[in-house]
Amino acid sequence: MTQYKYAIGDRVTVRDGTTLFHTRTQAFTRGKTGVVVEYRPEWIIPEDEAWGRDTPERGGRLEPFYVVRFRQKDLWPNYTGFDIDTLETEVSEHWLEPAKEEQA
Amino acid sequence: MSHDHDHGAHDPIQASNEVSEFEILERAVRELAIEKGLFSQEDHRRFSEWAESIGPSGGSRLVAKAWTDPEFKARLLADGTEACKEVGIDWLDPTGQGTPSDYTYFYVLENTPTVHNVIVCTLCSCYPRPVLGMSPDWYRTPNYRRRLVRWPREVLAEFGLHFGPDVEVRVHDSNQKSRFMVMPMRPEGTEGWTEEQLASIVTRDTMIGVALPQVDWTASGPPSGAKVNA
Repeated sequence: MTQYKYAIGDRVTVRDGTTLFHTRTQAFTRGKTGVVVEYRPEWIIPEDEAWGRDTPERGGRLEPFYVVRFRQKDLWPNYTGFDIDTLETEVSEHWLEPAKEEQA
Repeated sequence: MSHDHDHGAHDPIQASNEVSEFEILERAVRELAIEKGLFSQEDHRRFSEWAESIGPSGGSRLVAKAWTDPEFKARLLADGTEACKEVGIDWLDPTGQGTPSDYTYFYVLENTPTVHNVIVCTLCSCYPRPVLGMSPDWYRTPNYRRRLVRWPREVLAEFGLHFGPDVEVRVHDSNQKSRFMVMPMRPEGTEGWTEEQLASIVTRDTMIGVALPQVDWTASGPPSGAKVNA
């Protein structure tokens, strides 16, 4: 059974990390806070997969993934749509930390 | 008849023979694979021909079946990968050759009166190819990819789609393993239609989320009212 660190409904902040080699965590989500809306399975993280470590046997690390929903107005300065607009994307666990609510 | 437009106003169309770095990389890897006997040039041609001919009809059938069969709809929303097998699409082995890019998860996003879904891949051009075929050119452009996440309503308006403040526009950026397809709402005026009739109005763009199905609009002929040869 996958051990999920975060639960559906948890508010999470994407780590404001730098890009070392390959990642699939978009820069526009880093440092932004959203809510976990769905679990995904454990997948090999793209940071390993990019180097041919695409299975556990080859050294690829499995990690739980989550669907995180952001409010568009939290992602972009001067968002021109409406307040209810959202964006969803999948994020691996090590890119997430408990929400830093002070930024919201 | 006068001939008054200015031929000097634009430059002649130039043919470009420039090859991008990615094209060079693809050719190098392909030629190596052929040399090593992983596949033949004929295999490659046949695969390309097949892959480019898939089209969006698989997705149309999924939506039409879901519109007419609530139990199938529930199965499709719960597990897209599994439900696709009911219309003959195997996500885990769609090519019969197991190309690695096809080993992905598939989720169907249901539009409701209060949520409109639209898909994009900001990192590359991920697209649910087993059900929608090759993506349209514009879907792969940096223009669509960067602007849909930043200005979704403006981009949708450019496709002729407008929603009020009571509809949540939900953008799905398919940046990881999953691929997504939008299930549009069944339009009024389709009561009593067969699954086949319904499938005909579920066009590619309605499953990307940049259009809504119309009772008088199918992708197999020019839109009604258009006088293409007039």
